[in-house]
Amino acid sequence: MSTLLTVISVNDGKIKRSSLEVLSRCNELAEANGLTSAALVVDANAGEIAEQLKSYGPDAIYTIENPIFKNHLNTPVLKALSIAVDHINPQLVAFASTESSKDILGALAANKEAGALSDMSEFELTENGVKGKRPVMASKIISSVEATGTPVIISVRSGSYDVVEKSSDASVEAIDFSFNEEELRITLKEIISSSSDRVDLSEAEVVVAAGRGVKDEEGRNMISELASVLNAGIGASRALTEAGDYDPSLQIGQTGKVVSPQLYIGVAISGAIQHVAGMANSKVIVAINKDPDAPIFDIADYGLVGDLYKILPPFIEELKKIKQN
Amino acid sequence: MKFYVCIKQVPDVNAPLQIKDGQLIQDADRNILNAYDASAVEEALVLSEKHGGEVEVVLAGPEKAKETLRKALAMGADKGTHIVTNGDEEFDSYSYAKILAKFFSDKEYDFISCGKQSQDTDAGLTGPMLAELLNLPYATNAVGLEYSDGSILVKRQGDAGQEMIELPSPGLVTCSNDMNDPRIPSLKGIMQSKRKPVDTISLDDFAADAASEEVKTKVLGFEEKPKREPGKKYEGEPEEIAREVAKLLDSEENVI
Ligand SMILES: Cc1cc2nc3c(=O)[nH]c(=O)nc-3n(C[C@H](O)[C@H](O)[C@H](O)COP(=O)(O)OP(=O)(O)OC[C@H]3O[C@@H](n4cnc5c(N)ncnc54)[C@H](O)[C@@H]3O)c2cc1C
Ligand SMILES: Nc1ncnc2c1ncn2[C@@H]1O[C@H](COP(=O)(O)O)[C@@H](O)[C@H]1O
Repeated sequence: MSTLLTVISVNDGKIKRSSLEVLSRCNELAEANGLTSAALVVDANAGEIAEQLKSYGPDAIYTIENPIFKNHLNTPVLKALSIAVDHINPQLVAFASTESSKDILGALAANKEAGALSDMSEFELTENGVKGKRPVMASKIISSVEATGTPVIISVRSGSYDVVEKSSDASVEAIDFSFNEEELRITLKEIISSSSDRVDLSEAEVVVAAGRGVKDEEGRNMISELASVLNAGIGASRALTEAGDYDPSLQIGQTGKVVSPQLYIGVAISGAIQHVAGMANSKVIVAINKDPDAPIFDIADYGLVGDLYKILPPFIEELKKIKQN
Repeated sequence: MKFYVCIKQVPDVNAPLQIKDGQLIQDADRNILNAYDASAVEEALVLSEKHGGEVEVVLAGPEKAKETLRKALAMGADKGTHIVTNGDEEFDSYSYAKILAKFFSDKEYDFISCGKQSQDTDAGLTGPMLAELLNLPYATNAVGLEYSDGSILVKRQGDAGQEMIELPSPGLVTCSNDMNDPRIPSLKGIMQSKRKPVDTISLDDFAADAASEEVKTKVLGFEEKPKREPGKKYEGEPEEIAREVAKLLDSEENVI
């Protein structure tokens, strides 16, 4: 029986929600079409992750476990995926769209001479491939796309599907894999900064994003306080990651991350299309901006016109009161 | 050190757009150098100015894309190659990767750089595809490059933090626009660019096989993104509107 294969992304020993979204969608498609939904874990602790996966309903689980996967490096990951695809022979290989999957998607596609579609917001099966939608033109436009052949390789934007829990008694098969130093070719010298101790932005239920108007420490402290009251992930516009005020991994938008929280609060962000590309799917959008004509107000559910330094203190105070009750 | 930068002409996403019968119409036909490629050109220029070397740019695209090639030359690239397409082919990232792979098959270089993605389609596939086709080690999403002893040290933006990767020559890197601010060509640069060598080759003569293969992905059509319902703007006393909205987020939206 033909297989839909979801490649699971792992961060700090935890399965990324975005890859469970993809798995849930593949489970649904497999069930509707009489296919097998399989999950593949390529990780230093793949076996443990496989156990966690059993709560999310795949029909089969494959693991490739090796210490080399402790940090992301494209050469071993690519080799592992190539072996797995040959072994499993799936009709679809689906990833959550992350920096790590973007790193290898094209190379895997070229390696397998497969059609590839990245960053899809919807997908379904066709007779001989996959079709679906993906945002283009800085997410102003949606394009309908199609890929044919076997396999088809896709990545899916976070927040595109809901995670459906479903227990399964899937078998776990470990795929043979070995890797030696000479094959590496690139060398990981250092991991510079890691925001793993913070709330993971792409999975946060609430996101507080700072823009250029947050211009000093007082402003940044307000952002931190607001985020901590709401247990929110902190994000930033390019204006502030570029200036070095916020870690570059916190950039939201076309170049940065896509977020789809329940609540997004943009503080002094103008709403340039490249920023909006990364947050327009948030459920509730709040914008604070002193310019009543700022484009962010066109998409905000609640637009607060005014100076952030005057609005944030009472806003935070009121939220604290609500939280305490 | 010899750098090749793959550059693409893309429609300006800021220009007014319309959709007619599922087709995307650009009112003004405004096209630009892909922003990520501009950063790749900039960084190659900086490295070659610092360490000595040559920067060549290569572009596959229709006749009118020559202006984009000229732009990169005006920024300071030494030489350009224009692989001329008809402009009406339905190429995807893989088609371009194959055309570029053919181009590089008889070239010598230390590094090839690409943009991390096309600004109009955000595909992000061509660079890694090209690396795989040429069997080159590669790093993507670079936010900084340093050269030392035949290798480049790539600072790449990963999911959580940044990774420092040593990429040996020959290798391929894809660049983020977070790497630098590309220079605006000076008047002198623009004048000089007119005298710089440009090789023009027709796709049909050169890589007909690469281009005529069946394209595995297709764009079927375009539609507007569904508009969000316009919300409410709160103007007035900061203290009052702040408290009011905070309360509504709790009572109406249930997101606190
Ligand atoms: C290819 C490409 C990719 C890009 N990718 C991204 C991306 O991923 N993410 C991203 O964010 N950008 C991206 N950009 C940049 C984007 O176009 C904008 O330049 C950027 O988002 C602007 O950031 P900003 O809104 O913080 O700053 P600005 O546009 O300068 O806006 C600042 C806003 O703050 C308001 N303000 C100032 N002071 C106050 C105050 N005291 N109180 C209240 N409001 C105040 C102002 O009214 C203004 O609206 C990209 C650009 C390109 C070309
Ligand atoms: N026609 C082309 N000519 C030259 N380089 C290209 C072309 N198409 C894609 N590229 C390179 O690949 C990158 C984009 O890949 P993609 O997002 O897959 O379209 C660009 O930033 C360029 O570096």
